[in-house]
This record gives sequence, C-alpha cells and structure tokens, in this order.
Amino acid sequence: MRRWYRNLDISTLLIWIALCACGLVAIYSSTHGEAQEFLLTTVQNSFGRQRLWLMISTVALVTILSVPMRLLVRMVPWIYLATIGFLILALVIGREVGGARSWVYFGPIGFQSSELAKVGGLFMAAFVLASHRKEKSILPTAAIAAGALILPALLIILQNDLGTALVFVGLIPVLALCGGVPLRIVGLLILFPVAGYLTILSWPVALGFTVLVGIIAWYGTHSRSWVAAGVIASAMTIGVANFALQYVLQPHQVARIVSFSNPEADEYRANVGFHLVQSKAALGSGGWFGLGFRQGTQTQGRYIPEQSTDFVFSVIGEEWGFIGGILVLLLFAALMLRLLWLARAIDHPFGNLVVAGVAGIFLIHVCVNIGMVLGLLPVIGIPLPFLSYGGSALLTNTTLLGLALACYMRRAEFSLYV
Amino acid sequence: MLSVLSLQLFRLQVAERQDLSEIARGNALRDIRVLPARGLVYDRNGTLMVHNTPTYTISLAPRYFDRTRIPLLAKHLDVPDSVITLRLQEAQDYNPYRLYPSFSNVSFAQYSRILEDVYLLPGVGWEIKQQRRYPTNARASHALGYIGEINREELNAIDYESDSSLYRQGDFRGRTGIEEGYEPWLRGIPGVARRWVNVYGLEIMSYAQGQGDQPPRGNYDLHLTLDHRVQEFAESLFVNKRGAVVALDPNDGGIIALVSKPDYPLESLNQGMQMEAWQALLNHHEDPLYNRATMNLMPPGSTWKPFMALLGLSEGLLEGTDETIYCPGYHPFGQGRFFRCLEAHGPQHVVEALKNSCNTFFFELARRMDLEVFKKYANRFGFGVESPTDLLEQTAGLIPDSAYFEQTGRYWGTVAIMNLGVGQGDMGVTPFQLARYAAALANGGTLYAPHMVSHLVQPETNERVELPNISDPIHLDLDPGHVNLVREGMRLVMEAGTARASQIPGIPSAGKTGTAQAPGNFTDHSVFIMFAPFDNPQIALAVQCENTGNGSLCAAPIASLLAEMYLKGEVPPSWQTDIRMGRALSATSELLTQAAE
Repeated sequence: MRRWYRNLDISTLLIWIALCACGLVAIYSSTHGEAQEFLLTTVQNSFGRQRLWLMISTVALVTILSVPMRLLVRMVPWIYLATIGFLILALVIGREVGGARSWVYFGPIGFQSSELAKVGGLFMAAFVLASHRKEKSILPTAAIAAGALILPALLIILQNDLGTALVFVGLIPVLALCGGVPLRIVGLLILFPVAGYLTILSWPVALGFTVLVGIIAWYGTHSRSWVAAGVIASAMTIGVANFALQYVLQPHQVARIVSFSNPEADEYRANVGFHLVQSKAALGSGGWFGLGFRQGTQTQGRYIPEQSTDFVFSVIGEEWGFIGGILVLLLFAALMLRLLWLARAIDHPFGNLVVAGVAGIFLIHVCVNIGMVLGLLPVIGIPLPFLSYGGSALLTNTTLLGLALACYMRRAEFSLYV
Repeated sequence: MLSVLSLQLFRLQVAERQDLSEIARGNALRDIRVLPARGLVYDRNGTLMVHNTPTYTISLAPRYFDRTRIPLLAKHLDVPDSVITLRLQEAQDYNPYRLYPSFSNVSFAQYSRILEDVYLLPGVGWEIKQQRRYPTNARASHALGYIGEINREELNAIDYESDSSLYRQGDFRGRTGIEEGYEPWLRGIPGVARRWVNVYGLEIMSYAQGQGDQPPRGNYDLHLTLDHRVQEFAESLFVNKRGAVVALDPNDGGIIALVSKPDYPLESLNQGMQMEAWQALLNHHEDPLYNRATMNLMPPGSTWKPFMALLGLSEGLLEGTDETIYCPGYHPFGQGRFFRCLEAHGPQHVVEALKNSCNTFFFELARRMDLEVFKKYANRFGFGVESPTDLLEQTAGLIPDSAYFEQTGRYWGTVAIMNLGVGQGDMGVTPFQLARYAAALANGGTLYAPHMVSHLVQPETNERVELPNISDPIHLDLDPGHVNLVREGMRLVMEAGTARASQIPGIPSAGKTGTAQAPGNFTDHSVFIMFAPFDNPQIALAVQCENTGNGSLCAAPIASLLAEMYLKGEVPPSWQTDIRMGRALSATSELLTQAAE
C-alpha cells in the first residue's frame, strides 16, 4: 500500500521553501542592516517574528496534510461560518492597524481576519461550484458561489481594507472559468477591471479597447447581443470611471488612483507618489546584479515605506538586482504552473477548484503587488505571498498551499467521500 | 501577465537604470562637512596657551527612542527619569525624527557609558564638539580674543562661490584678538565626508568606504611673540587696578605682553555666547571687554618728555645740544599760575631735565615750537595715527594741530601749547603707541609694526609659514647723538631720577615716569615707559594705571618687574623686589563711583 505522503508534491514544497527563504532574507536585510539602530524596536523584531510565524505556518501545513479529505469537506460550511463570524468579530472588537479594522488579538498574537477569510471564502465558493449538477444551468450556482465570495468582500470593505476585498472579487472569474462558466461570461467579468484600468491610464486607449472587445466578441461568439454586451459594458465602465474620477471621488482619492502612471510629477512625488518614486529608484539602483545583501541604499535608508511588507520586492530588486527579481518571478511562475498541473491531475471538481483557486489567489497577489512595486498599478496594499512580512498572510498563504497539496495528495479520497 | 511584469522589471532595472539610480543616489548621499581642529596657540617659548578639548553632546530622536530605556539612559546620565521624559518632549516638539541635542556638556564617563550601551538605545545620537581651553594662568583676554557663533548677517554676506571656508549656521569664528585676526588660518578649510543617510536624514555609514572623502586642511597653529610668564605676571600685578600694559620686543615689534584690566576669563565665552556671562560683561561698570591697551586714550604725561627732547634737538629749538634752561620752580609765562615745576631745579641741561622731569624745561621747548611741526613729529612717532599691527581694534589717538583747535573751538594760546610740552592737555595716546615709541627709543629710532604672531605651523604637515612683515620698519632718521642724549636722560631716571626705586637689580635700564591728569577731581593716572637692558634692549614697555597717582608709584614698579621677569625668567627675591612688589600691589585704582561721591 502506498503511504499517504507518497503523493505529496515535493517540488511545490521546495518552491514554497525557496520563496519563504527569499522573504526571510529580504526582511532580515531590511531590518538588520547598518541602519538597524534607527528602526523602531517593533520593526527590528520583524525577522524574528516572521521566523516564528513560519514555524506556526509549517505546523498548520503538516496539520492540514494529515486531515482526511472527508473531514475537510464536511468542515467547509463551518469554516465559512467561522470566517464570516470572525470578520464580524473584527469589526466589533477588532483593532485598527494601518487604517484597517481587521485585526483580532488573542493575547499578544494578532490575526488579520481579512487574510484568514481567504481560506473560508475559497473553500465555500469551490464547495458551491462543485455541488453543481451537470444537467442544470451553471449560472445560478455560479451566482451563489460569487455571493459566497462577495459577502466576506463586503465585510472587508467595511473594515476599510479595499485591497484585500479586491482579491475576493478577483477570484470570481478564476473560479468561474474553472467551474465551467462559459468563457464569454468570464470574459465579460474580466472586461470591467481592464476597461477601468485603461481608463485611468488614458481614455482614448480605453475606447480603442472597447472597439477591440467588439471585434473579439464577434469572432468569439458570432452573436450580436454578445458584441453589444461587451461594447456596452466596456463603454459603461469608461463612462462610470471617468465620472467617478471627476465628480464623485475626493481629489486625494483621485490622486491615489491616478498617480501611479506619473509618480514623479511635482504634485505627487512628495506624497502619494513617494512610494513609487522610491520603489522605482530602488529597482534602478539595483541594476543587473544588485547592490548586495544589506547594501541597498534605498533599503538601508528606509526610503521605501512598507519595505518589508508590501514593498518587499523592491528590497530584492535593489539588493539582488534584475537577477534576483526575475528569479522570484520565475519561482512564482513555477509555483502557479505546478499548481495548475496539480489541478489538472485531480478529477474531482472540488479539489480541482480549490487548487486552481489557490493558484488564482497567488496570481492576483503576485500581479497586483509586483505591478504596484513596478509602478504599473495604483498602490493597493496587498502583500506578496510568502515574501512580505506579515504573520497572518504567511499563515493564510501556507494554509492555502497546504490545502492545494492536500487535495492533490488525497485526490483518490474524493470519489469515496464526496 | 508575469511576462509583462518581467518586462517592466527589465525596463526599470536595466534600461532606465541610469536615471533611477540617480534618484537613489540623490536620496541617500549626503556630503558632511568635517571641520579641521581649530589651530592651537603657543607662546614665544612654545608653551601651549590655547587648545581644544572635546565636549560631548547626547541627542535624542524621540520617534526612534525606546521609552522602556528611559531608566537606562537616566542612569548613564545621572539624572532622574523625569528629566529624560522632559527632554524627549522637547525634542518631540522640535522634530520627532531628527536628533535634537538634549544633553550638552556631558562628561566623558557618561558619554562612554552611553556609547557602550548604544545598541540598547535606539534614537540616541552623540556629537563631539571642540571647545577652546586656556591651560596657562595667563588670561590674555584681549590679546587672544574669544570666538562666537556666526550670525545671520555674516552668513548672508558670505559668497559661497568663492569662499572655501564654508561657514554654516552654528559654526564658530573669532570675534576679537588673534582669534579674529587669524580666523582663516586658525579655521582652515573644511573637508567632506560622504555619508549614507536614511529617509529621516539620519546618518547610517560612510559611503564607498570613504572614497571621495576629502580631509580637512589648511588649519595652522599660531606661534605668538607673547611670553605667557610675563603676561601672567602682569595680570597678577594688576589687582584692584584699571589700566594696561604693552610690552614689545624693540628689535622686531613682537608683542611680549598685552594686558588690559579689568579683563575676563575667556573660558566663560568659549562655548559661544552664554547669555548671562555675556550680559554680565557688557553691563560691568568697568567694561572688561574694552581693550584699554590699544584703545584707551589719555595724555602721556611726562613720558612725553623724551619725545619733546628729540623734537627740540632735531628741530633746533635748543641752541646746540648743551643749552641749559633755568628752572626757578615754575615757568615765568603767565605769572607761574599754571606752569609749576616739581621744585626749583636751577639750570637744566636736556639730560638733567629728563632725569628730573623738569617741567620748566619742556614748557619752554613747547613755547618755542610750532604746533604743526609738533603734530607732524608726533605722527611720525606713531601718535595720533593707527599703527600697522595684526591687532584689529585700536584707536588713532589725538594729537592736536591748529585745525583741531579751530574746529573744536577751544582756547589755544601759548598756554595750551605749552601744556602739550609736558604731555598734558588736549592729547590722547594709547599704551600701545607708548610702547611702540619706547621701543623706538630703545633701538635708536626704528618703528616696527607691533604684532602678536611670529609664525604659523600646519600641525599635520609641519609646514611652517612666516608671515610677511605687516609693514616695513619705519626709520625715524634721528641723529644718533640726539637719541643718545635722550637715552642717557632716561637711564638717569632709573638710576637716580624719579624711577630710581624701580631699578632692576643688576640690569641697567632706561625709563620715564608720567602722571597724566585725569579730568575732574579724580586721582591722576600713573604712566611709565621703559626699556631694558640699556645697552642691548630686549624689551620695551608702556604701562598705564588709571587713577593711581604718580607714575613712579604704580606704573614704574610694574614695568620694572615685568622687564626683569622677561629678561631673567623670574623675579628673584631682593629688597628691590620687595619695594617694587609692595608699590605695585598696594596701588589701587580709585573707584570712579567712589570719587564721584
């Protein structure tokens, strides 16, 4: 008889270890350089705490791997309820950190409810989609699954953490695609953020995009109504976004959204553009090979705010250069490709969806975070998985990875119990 | 999507590297000035008179300070915890991210304790500043001068394009004395140290292991002509007196001592203006900041007589060198009302007249002279004009001519002019000018530029700089025969004349007492000029003691003791010493407030 761990995917684990190691190195460098004495004591202790969280996460990983799949699946609704309860708890008794009221403290240890909610949200959405019977239309089921994601997203918006909420919304098209929702509908969903993004960059480009949408919709569906839907959706997004930027949002909010395209401008560089100017300067100063471990001037001088959390990639870019940065990107690419490969190997839709969803969450995080550090996206505060400092995020991401590994490892159990 | 990210990463890190890394360098690099140690000051024998000692300042940056460490810092600084809390609040009000100098002048022990524990004390910085120290007992307040923080107007006036001195707010510069006069030499040219600084402007470390750093340079130590023993001794003799001493080397004009009393300890101003100390000095009724040695004007009294004698001899006011003038105890002009002599000297030759300080003789000379010639002569001797010197503050003094009397509308008949002949009336000379004149009498008629500094030495390279003469020596072109007569008269003053009680045992010298009339009802000023040894003069002095009476009582013994100290290196005990010390120390300046009552 094959032992249960025989099916454990070692290469994913190795990538996970490599990414965590990169994160620890970057955090160590940014908190234990020559400038250490100028740091807050709490920041100086980041490395030690991250190491502790990594141990906790490892325990969580092992625990998840040892739970039988039947039990795990049965627990899904309860986990979801607990997640929602936890989010509400944070709203009631939570502590505000960095403007977001999402932290619940158990003694000295704080948990970020919005991070942990990703597990519950993904689980529930996958559970709902997996329960779909082939003879019925997928759309009502998909709507319920989307609702299962939107509910925690709304609670998180109430906590004033828009970035994390966006991850839940971003997960909808990913799960929809894997759950069998027709491509045209998924395309329609993706259309909104893309059109919105282009509107911020330049509305003529956005209009061109609308035309492109029409053409693609025609060739994809040969249906006039779909072309109309696509074009109208795109045009509406452009209109709404423009309207919001000009009339609804406060000037400081507009500045936060649009400044990424030109952070060096005089009106931005000292305030909303400061992150990006400094982050880009750090990357540029890194060059091909970087300035070396604990040698980055931007890093050691703490010019980049949040450099060990959301902007940790700039630390890697400065101290390890293009080589270091591309290595991290390759590790993420390998992780996601590997997860997709694992997903394909699972026959059961629940496992399939969970693994794909985990890959989707990571993809969203990586793209949004690194896109932000590189100045391609507005500054949205979401961490880089496994690298950014942050215990709850590390625990959540490791748990997600653990679930993906468990689904693959115990893929044979699905047919028996579900 | 990941490839889009990779492309952007490539763009930023490789393609746009140049521009972006410029931003990073601009952020993180800061050139910090490194000031050279301010030049030291040595006296003529190589004794250190001014040096620098470090003072330690502990600064706090509240945002980084760990408040649980308050007890530790308090323990190291020997203050209660509440003081630290208070200082943190002060610093917080200033700027929570910047180091704020919270504890200045901490002891070395406290400083080193903090440095040992610095890893436990984030947000604690330190600064070492240099403070001027004066290790000898000589104060020399006016000669050395004090330093003070540069002020706003001076900063605004600096042309940064051409000026390499790079003064900044908080820098010190010489304010008076040689500290001011030799400021560029003492200060030197600041160097540059490249530092990495963090986003809050705090320094992290040196850049590229110090490449591109520029060491400070161009600071020089001053070697003075001052003799700290003479200076110190002179200051000690001036207890309870106002007045001044200037002692010169008659062979080159080097200033051996320059005393102005009352003075003040330079230590009290060595950290820049401490308001209370400064106000006390400013408001002191005897004005210790005033440099009496170069600025105090008073009539020269009978010390003027050697000058008059030379004037008379050179201008032919006397019929040959051996004309005698009869002294009946007064000058007959004006019925003897004003022109009294000390006693009826009988027929007086010029040498005798000097020895006896016979007023009648010099009244007569003045009666015969032309006022314009008098003025021209006095100016040639350095009176009534500013002297070439490296001391920055001096007054020209007053030598009247007809224009002066016309302008001021004062009476100027024969009586006024005759008064000038004995160094009284409408004229004012400084001790500094008297000393220069005494030196010219000593060396046979050459006026040198009195100066404080003999040479400069760069402490690192030992490069020695000899400064060019401030001005060429001025030769008065006097007839050596005339000079010898005057010198002989001055020798007799010491040997058997008015200053016979102030002889230097074993060293023949020459001098002339003077008593300058003080305006009002005040006691006269005691004045004395002197040089020694007579045959080969090494020192020439002028002493003014305000409101202490006759020149032989106070100024002469002081001058004599100082000359002896300079020539012998000590003042050995003897009965002559006892007399001179007794007179010098017992004389007191009449308090102006007292006399007014």
